[in-house]
Amino acid sequence: MPDTRPKIVGFCCERHGMDAAVLAARSGKQFEASVRLVQVPCTGRVDGMHILRALEDGADAVFVLGCLEKNCYYDTGSIEGRKRVGYVKQMLSELGLEKERVEMFNAASSNSWVFPEIVAKMVEVVKKFGPIGGEKR
Amino acid sequence: MNAKIQVLLCKCCSEVPELLNIAKLEKLASESGNVLSVMTLDALCDGKELAMVVAEARIKEIDRAVVLACQKKDVSPALIKAYKRVGVNEHLVQIVNIREEVVLPHAAEQERAQAKAQTMLLSALARSRLLQPLERSSEDMKTRNVVIVGGGVAGQAAAKEAAKYGVHTIILEKTGKSVTAPGVVMPHATLIGGKGYGGNFELKIRVGESLEDLGAASVVIASGGGWSTLKGALAKAVRGAMPLYEFHQKLHAEQTSAGTVVFMDTPDPAGKTLKVQDYAWDETLETAIELKRKHPETAVYVIFQEMRASGLSELAYKEAAELGVKFVRYDRSATPKVDPKDPTTLSVKDLTQGDELKIRLGTMVFASIPASPDNQIIAEALRIPMSVDGAIRRGSIQRGPVSTPKPGVFVCGSALFPKSREVAAAEGQAAGKLAGEFAARGSIEFGGIVAQVTQEKCSACLTCVRTCPYEAPFIGTASKAEIRVQACQGCGMCVGICPSKAIELHNYTDDQIMTESKTLLGGDF
Repeated sequence: MPDTRPKIVGFCCERHGMDAAVLAARSGKQFEASVRLVQVPCTGRVDGMHILRALEDGADAVFVLGCLEKNCYYDTGSIEGRKRVGYVKQMLSELGLEKERVEMFNAASSNSWVFPEIVAKMVEVVKKFGPIGGEKR
Repeated sequence: MNAKIQVLLCKCCSEVPELLNIAKLEKLASESGNVLSVMTLDALCDGKELAMVVAEARIKEIDRAVVLACQKKDVSPALIKAYKRVGVNEHLVQIVNIREEVVLPHAAEQERAQAKAQTMLLSALARSRLLQPLERSSEDMKTRNVVIVGGGVAGQAAAKEAAKYGVHTIILEKTGKSVTAPGVVMPHATLIGGKGYGGNFELKIRVGESLEDLGAASVVIASGGGWSTLKGALAKAVRGAMPLYEFHQKLHAEQTSAGTVVFMDTPDPAGKTLKVQDYAWDETLETAIELKRKHPETAVYVIFQEMRASGLSELAYKEAAELGVKFVRYDRSATPKVDPKDPTTLSVKDLTQGDELKIRLGTMVFASIPASPDNQIIAEALRIPMSVDGAIRRGSIQRGPVSTPKPGVFVCGSALFPKSREVAAAEGQAAGKLAGEFAARGSIEFGGIVAQVTQEKCSACLTCVRTCPYEAPFIGTASKAEIRVQACQGCGMCVGICPSKAIELHNYTDDQIMTESKTLLGGDF
């Protein structure tokens, strides 16, 4: 059933975001195999265009994973990232797409359970709304 | 496009071949464009095979590499060093983490893991073709000064440690009190302004009545707590108010006045109770026990919202209760109040019994103290963030426990939050070491992954100037934004926010990021 597999893209910051994913794997956690990670220096680097283009290229859901807001390596980076995600969410609802498909998360690099939870949440979202574009595609 | 890519496949001590088909990955890599060499290694991290890799790279005149291995931090230093020897730019070595992203978390799904690894390889190759070689450069520091703001416990400890690195320490002490520390001590001196970046700060200080300029390589903030400002307001409202350390000194000198002693968590002139640190309760309990032992006739109350005696101090709680110290817990909604007409009576609602207690005060001792009001000026001068409590906020824990988000600025002691002398001294030593080491480097390295402005597109809207936490963008002589590369940390916040798309971050351009996500989505799922 390859068509039911969710396609999820995650933009992870190279500090706490990527480290949280690495720690989850090293602690023996298993998660959905169809998640694809793109490393960015900081979630503040993520542009609305990157998220929209990923959706256009076929992603069913996109998440952005940054540092905890009070523990961001670049001080305000993950706050900026959240703003961009909020902007994209608004755009999606104006386009008639489910805004839940795009989500911002924060993680600490010392929390191994956060990353699998995030992936599970996004898989849940895709299961609820189906592949992007629905029947039209 | 004439990129010459070398692909390295690390078996991670044969963890990878258990799940993935290495031969297929090798075939895929060698059939892709621009790939001149594909090598499979047993374990990249032990460095034994690096000589082989370098020899191959030299023969094939490789200029960039894609490495399928584990986390970047684990493999890169030795590998990058080896590649540097054959002239491969460090920013062109791309590491794909197949161990933690594929092998470990998808151990049960062989087929899908293989598909994911293949897509990741292809996307890394696609991104690698777009990367540009980047150069790093360095600038000499103008001075070797380590400026320490505050000459208290933390400040003195910082000066002692920093001096061991052979740098000049300068302590700015607000008051005229004597400070025993190496280097220069400037009494009646405060920091009022500054500009620059880690390594070359230009500070403005006020010494007595005159203003002076001071260059600094690194700065330590040890501004301490702000008891003095609170004291005035409290002295009028509460009879015999004093901080814990002052009471402790009086107790040792047998100078305590008679009458009931009340220990309480931190007061705030605004009426709300500040956060109390754990240490405060440990020391409060010890002092209460000492007081009760010396003067058993004195009535002693400990009023608290939440008691957190750490570790073995739990025993002190029991001991104090047995000695006759009365513990009163109150609720956040009903903070204890001193009658405005009569500053000697404290009324508090006991949460456990529900009764309103009226205590006649002899001395009121506060365990924790608020942040220094000077922090506002210091934070504005150095452009570093403050916490809601009015203290200096420290940076991400990945930068270190006494670091601020700004490189070259360190913070210690009660400037962060109220703490005991021992902890303040230990933090001072840590901050002093880091600041001394920073200044002793003598030069700063910068460049590599930094932002760059395309001036034709810039509309000088100042968005980047406002967004950057490091003051890297500024409006230059041509009335267009420019990036001060020495200050740029390469986070790319200005790049994402620029409405004219005039800024780009080297090796994380829109094109590179979107190519990567597009290729990742193009494969099988």
